[in-house]
Amino acid sequence: MKYMGSAGDYRVDRPGRLVTRAARLAPDLKWQFIGAIAVASVATLVRLVGPLIIRGGIDDGITEGDKRTIIVAAAIYVGLLVVQYFASAAAQWSVAIVGERYLVRLRSVVFGRLLRLDMGFYSRSKSGVLVSRMTSDIESLQEFASDGAVLALTNLLTVVGVAFALVLVDWQMAFTVFAVVFVLAGVTVLFQRQARRAYDQVREQIGSVLATLQEGITGVRVVQAFTQEDAQASTFGRVNERYFEANMAAARAISWYFPVVAFLRIIALAAALGIGASRVLNGTMTIGTLVAFLLYLDWFFQPIINLSNVYNLLQSALAAIAKLFELMDEKVVVDDKQGAFDLSEPVSGSVALETVSFSYEPNTMVLDAVSVIVGAGERVAIVGETGSGKSTIAKLIMRFYDPESGVVAIDGNDLRDITERSRTGALALIPQDGFLFAGTLRDNIAYADPGAPDEAVWNVLRAMGIDHWVRSLPEGLDTEVRERGGRFSAGERQLVALARAFLSDPSIIVLDEATSNLDPETEIQVEGALRVLLAGRTSVVIAHRLRSAERADRVIMVDGGRIIAEGTHSELVESSPRYKELVEVWQRGAK
Amino acid sequence: MVEDQSRLADLRVGISLLWRVALRYRGVAAMSIVGALIWMAMVILVPYLVGSVIDLVVGRAEMSDIWPVLGLMVIAGAIQAVGISLRRYYGFKMSYRAEADLRNNIFTHIQRLAFSFHDVTSTGELMARASSDLSQLRLILAMAPITSANLVMFVVVAIVLIIIDPVLGLTASLMVPALLFTSARFASKVVGFSFDLQQRLSELSHVVEETVSGIEVVKSYGQEAQQQARLDDKAETIYDAAMGMAKQRAIYRPFFEIIPALGTVAVLALGGVRVVDGAITFGEFVSFTQYLAVMVLPLLITGWFFANLPRSAAAASRIDALLETAPDIREPEHPVRLKPGHGEVVFDDVSFAYPDGTTVLHNVDLRIPGGSSVGLVGATGSGKSTIAHLIPRFYDVTSGSITLDGVDVRDLALDDLRSEVSVVFQESYLFSASIEENIRVGDPMASDKRIRSAARLAKAHEFICGFDDGYATVVGERGSTLSGGQRQRVSLARGVVRDPRVLILDDATSSVDAIVEAEIQEALRQVMAGRTTVIIAHRTSTLALVDNVAFIEDGHVVAFGPHHELLEEVPRYAAVLATGAEVDA
Repeated sequence: MKYMGSAGDYRVDRPGRLVTRAARLAPDLKWQFIGAIAVASVATLVRLVGPLIIRGGIDDGITEGDKRTIIVAAAIYVGLLVVQYFASAAAQWSVAIVGERYLVRLRSVVFGRLLRLDMGFYSRSKSGVLVSRMTSDIESLQEFASDGAVLALTNLLTVVGVAFALVLVDWQMAFTVFAVVFVLAGVTVLFQRQARRAYDQVREQIGSVLATLQEGITGVRVVQAFTQEDAQASTFGRVNERYFEANMAAARAISWYFPVVAFLRIIALAAALGIGASRVLNGTMTIGTLVAFLLYLDWFFQPIINLSNVYNLLQSALAAIAKLFELMDEKVVVDDKQGAFDLSEPVSGSVALETVSFSYEPNTMVLDAVSVIVGAGERVAIVGETGSGKSTIAKLIMRFYDPESGVVAIDGNDLRDITERSRTGALALIPQDGFLFAGTLRDNIAYADPGAPDEAVWNVLRAMGIDHWVRSLPEGLDTEVRERGGRFSAGERQLVALARAFLSDPSIIVLDEATSNLDPETEIQVEGALRVLLAGRTSVVIAHRLRSAERADRVIMVDGGRIIAEGTHSELVESSPRYKELVEVWQRGAK
Repeated sequence: MVEDQSRLADLRVGISLLWRVALRYRGVAAMSIVGALIWMAMVILVPYLVGSVIDLVVGRAEMSDIWPVLGLMVIAGAIQAVGISLRRYYGFKMSYRAEADLRNNIFTHIQRLAFSFHDVTSTGELMARASSDLSQLRLILAMAPITSANLVMFVVVAIVLIIIDPVLGLTASLMVPALLFTSARFASKVVGFSFDLQQRLSELSHVVEETVSGIEVVKSYGQEAQQQARLDDKAETIYDAAMGMAKQRAIYRPFFEIIPALGTVAVLALGGVRVVDGAITFGEFVSFTQYLAVMVLPLLITGWFFANLPRSAAAASRIDALLETAPDIREPEHPVRLKPGHGEVVFDDVSFAYPDGTTVLHNVDLRIPGGSSVGLVGATGSGKSTIAHLIPRFYDVTSGSITLDGVDVRDLALDDLRSEVSVVFQESYLFSASIEENIRVGDPMASDKRIRSAARLAKAHEFICGFDDGYATVVGERGSTLSGGQRQRVSLARGVVRDPRVLILDDATSSVDAIVEAEIQEALRQVMAGRTTVIIAHRTSTLALVDNVAFIEDGHVVAFGPHHELLEEVPRYAAVLATGAEVDA
């Protein structure tokens, strides 16, 4: 959707700086860019010669009664038009190449930066806004690059060229026309101001129309269940009417501006004709010059109107690029430091948190001097209520964040000293909801190792006891997972996530257990696959179910960012009343 | 062949809708057309005046003879401005009014289409009808007045030119078809490419979306490079599509300058010779060049109009098809009043099949005594949700009947029926509005006191009061500022605020974990007390709350009775529950 970007909170007050910085992104396109301008200039120059030939044809041909000169002039003009055609086409083409190449570069660079940013950034930002940087913002640049740039360039060259031509042909008449253009410029500024306000309104209102529309459609079952159809329709009617009003405000601006422009054009024409006529009558101008002047005049007004439209495109392109630079200036907090090293293989897989404190926002401590040691091959379940800090522990182990104080270590090495490559090879996270990427089942399972042969994938599936499930799919490993929305159930997605982790063969698994109920058969498969995956590996399980806690070697209960109980399941049932309470809730739910 | 025919049919339907719309706003449309005709007349007059001035100059007239003509020109310019203003303003007004009214119609209609329609229609599709399809239709409506005036203008100008000089006039008029054709061809090519480009842009945005929402997985496996490669790949396909479009621009755009210039050359050569021969005056020669200049833009616009007409007609025919879809569930013609009662629900020999023919329920008989509660248990696809959805008439039975306190649900006014039968859905959908407004959806007339007591009943009052803004707290898009359990309790409050005779809980607790379910458990107990309740559930803790359980397999009610009895007497029932409850590893 297009209208989700945050409202322009960034002022485009330094266009020069923005443009320079934008240019630095693609220094290699510089010569192509200069070439494009050169071709466009040639095209414009050739075009501007046309009326001069007409003048020659009139003054030396028609006025003199010389038919031959007329035909020669026409022939030269035709020849010139052939040149003009190819020059114009080349200009269109070369400007597009520069613009579109630049966009490929920009998309890549911005996305690269987005990928490097750490989880802290992602949790601070709304995902809709991030997506809109890469979509609607770059698309408004695309609009400028693919059409706006050519229009800006050719129209600007035309206006400047025609202005020169007018002065060359007759400077007094030219300045009369410029006076009219001066008025036009003033009128255009007024119009732009009014139109921008109107279009801001239009954008805002279309946003609420679409939002209300979408809500009316996705919530239609609830609406009907409570017979709120009329109420919804009248709400929508109000929003829709505001959009209509906003559009009409824009329409009113357009409805006075363009008539005024057309009127000014006639005024300029009449003025040029008046002055020209008296000059011709007193012999200081030829009739051919007057006709040429009138032809130029026709080329003068439209480009000015076009330029004012291009100016809008340029404004939004600059605003978009300002937002992109803002994103690119985000600091990467979690990054490989100088001298980071690889873990020595084989990784045994012990995990330690030593007096780790952490908070997402200042003054709200999420973890408070927590120490946890998980031995190599041990299975630890972390339990606690929502907001207790248990999933933060998982995220710190994954180094989605760095602790504020204390150390998180694997095999005794501070995570901050280990290379990203080595860390991600040793660890795998299985999030609550089995996340699938667009692509085939094979792509998803072999995500950590895209080049893995089918044989390896099948080995994983067999080992986990889910190969028959994949075989039961008509297209097997080639099944597209995203086709027709959610093709896989929550349980099946979970299976894929487990297989993905197994194929990457990590030493340590961090599992955020799913909360929702799966249908019984899948549940059995997930349980089986999980058992295979966890066997012989270190695992930290954020547990939501009784049996996960029961099966763990050790249970850690977290509350308010602190560890309040630690031990085996049966020990804790005895020793911790809080834990016992939790177990009872679980039992009521399950039994 | 068949496709062509259907495209032709689309075109007919679409154009007929466009025509009906234009007729509906004929007053405004007429103003716009009048404006366009005024504009057109002046556009034709001005070059003629220019020619007259030139002739006066060539004829060595005095400036005093020329000034009045120039004055006339300025007056023509002023009248032209008025024409443009009328044309534009009323053209916009007609098109925006038509767009807004149609969008309202579409929205209202969507609200009335039954579940069976929404089951098979995606949100995106409906959104497209009410946004992009409508804009496409609006564009054509807005351009219609100017296009009709343009068409008149081409004919009139051609006639004027031919009257001035047949040979020269015919030659110059060749520009009309040449530019029209090039412009239309260009527009239709670009339309295709821009569709392609949009497609690829949306593919790229999918890559971005999945990367952002799956960022934990990406980072966990250190696969940033893989995502980067996917994106670069998409960016490259966008480049190809954009350059395809650029190629069309490079080929066609120069023609828009070259063709009028060729016309000017023709006028120079042919016209120049005619002037020398004395067949036409020099002023007429200049008029010719001026006519060519003023016609360029109208010709381009008209070409664009006809290139876009088929697309707009197709959009209009899609809109028409949506508006012509009749809702499956209709109000009875002579509604019966609901009798007083405690909410007894009786299924009498009910069968149900979806429109595609899959039969879901077979001859179901089920009596739920007023004020009692029943749990529906069965595997996925057994038909238990369907049973629940038939009571408030989200669907109609294929055969048999369902009665509420003795009255067939199809004989009740929908509002009467649905205000006595409340549904709490599996996905607790909340509107982006305040909590209070969300509860009030259940009963717009409810007093604040009722809202609060409903919230108390649903065990929502405490946590709502815990928010800074209390009941005025705005829940985000789809209720995302509340936890799953909180959302569920707000929708429970919404379900009971009207104090319905029958409450249906459609698998309302399946997606929350045990702790949250424990929170809701107590709320359920309260709302069920003394009320007919139909509850779809998996968990034994929930089933312990109900009076009876209906066990459903393959569209049949195979057992009915208290939970503990069924556990003992029906081995299949126990088996289905056991697999769900505890999977031994």
